[in-house]
Amino acid sequence: MLKIDDIHVYYGAIHAIKGVSFEVNEGEIVALIGANGAGKSTILKTVSGLMHPRSGSITFMGESISHTDAYKLVRHGLAHVPEGRRIFLQMSVQENLDMGAFTQKNVSKEDLDMVFDLFPRLKERRHQVAGTLSGGEQQMLAMSRALMSHPKLMMLDEPSMGLAPILVDQIFSIIKDLHKAGTTILLVEQNASKALQIADRAYVLETGSITLSGTGPELARSDEVRKAYLGG
Amino acid sequence: MAVLQYLINGLSIGSIYAIIALGYTMVYGIAKMLNFAHGDVIMVGAYISYCVMIYLKMPPVVAILAAIVVCTVLGVLIEALAYRPLRGTSSLAVLITAIGVSYFLQNAAQLIWGVAQKTYSSVVTMESVHLFDGKILITGEVIVTIITSAVVMVCLTLFTSKTRTGKAMRAVSEDRDAAQLMGINVNRTIAVTFAIGSALAAIAGVLLCSASPALKPTTGSMPGIRAFTAAVFGGIGSVPGAMLGGILLGVIEELCKGLISTQFSDAIVFGVLIIVLLVKPTGLLGKQIQEKV
Repeated sequence: MLKIDDIHVYYGAIHAIKGVSFEVNEGEIVALIGANGAGKSTILKTVSGLMHPRSGSITFMGESISHTDAYKLVRHGLAHVPEGRRIFLQMSVQENLDMGAFTQKNVSKEDLDMVFDLFPRLKERRHQVAGTLSGGEQQMLAMSRALMSHPKLMMLDEPSMGLAPILVDQIFSIIKDLHKAGTTILLVEQNASKALQIADRAYVLETGSITLSGTGPELARSDEVRKAYLGG
Repeated sequence: MAVLQYLINGLSIGSIYAIIALGYTMVYGIAKMLNFAHGDVIMVGAYISYCVMIYLKMPPVVAILAAIVVCTVLGVLIEALAYRPLRGTSSLAVLITAIGVSYFLQNAAQLIWGVAQKTYSSVVTMESVHLFDGKILITGEVIVTIITSAVVMVCLTLFTSKTRTGKAMRAVSEDRDAAQLMGINVNRTIAVTFAIGSALAAIAGVLLCSASPALKPTTGSMPGIRAFTAAVFGGIGSVPGAMLGGILLGVIEELCKGLISTQFSDAIVFGVLIIVLLVKPTGLLGKQIQEKV
């Protein structure tokens, strides 16, 4: 579904991603794990078109998208829930969902019911300004907003960041539900143990390169991963 | 009684400032740039309506529509040719370009229409109203200006809060990258913003010259600067702020002229701006940035 082949990405003179290749097959949950600054978010931004690789290629559903603008990719079925949620804080919950459905002809009742089923809290706060939501609710809104575009592939950047453990469990169980409902997931996480528990396959990223890859359980057992990311 | 007269006049000129300030503030909010050529688009709008009325002998309504169409196209062209190629570069480069566009428009107007001042004939045919045995005079222009700006503000508020494009504009203004991830075409949204701002500038130009009929290539620059001040005063980037700032600025200006001194009115207006910014750096209704981690 998504194939990344030897991409190099720069921030000005800084060589942030140094020849990364990986793929995500339809129906999988794939996790990218790694420390702060390893380049996980940069990879997602490059896939979603907010940044472009200097060399290498990105193919999504058989089409080259290396230099396609971000706003066009949403229509292709690619959704990106960015790091730090990035919801529209000054708009209401409902308006945030309206923006999520920007590529749809209209904001359908079924879609709203679907996200309100997943996150009943949002329904209660529908007319509240998004900036007044708690961190967990903001994450729920960010995910709901992405779902409104009917994504085939959903990329989640640090969905557990800054959340209480009980909320982390809830968010991860919803990711599993979305996956069961047929959405392919590319997950970036610092919470490696959680990510490896639900991932079919995972890649370990260190300073711009992939150093390890394997199935979720394989990596969870690997000595290197345990030492570096799972606390021994 | 005199104070009431100043208030009415201030409300009228302030409404014009408000319409111009809306153009500044919307472009700032969405494209994150100060479009210093905005004042000169006002001047172009005034000249176009003047020419349609005087040379083509068309009725004022046609003249106003022509001015709106020409200014809208002009605004979109300026954005596409001068500002879009600079997107992503330093904001200083964009600012200097905007000043360049401003001079370009003024000089182009000089070439086309000459430096000599033209006497604009008001588009308003309404009779003046006298109140309190003639102690208060409300001209037709004042009435039309206030009504027009009220209509403009209501329409714009409805547009940004209810329509898909309006909401997309607010989304781009708040977070450009996140807006792109929703499928919003940022370039198109910015072009729409310039179109709306420039259409408002055309209306402001017609109202301005109907109230004070001296039309020359620099007609737009001083009202442009005052309206920019009004936008900062109200909180740049905020639509209600621009409306409030414009009207307050006009009222303060007229009260100063009437009660204190005509020469000092600008000094007092800008003095008030400085005090407001010292007390509240984001302007009266400026957005409070609040973020949650």
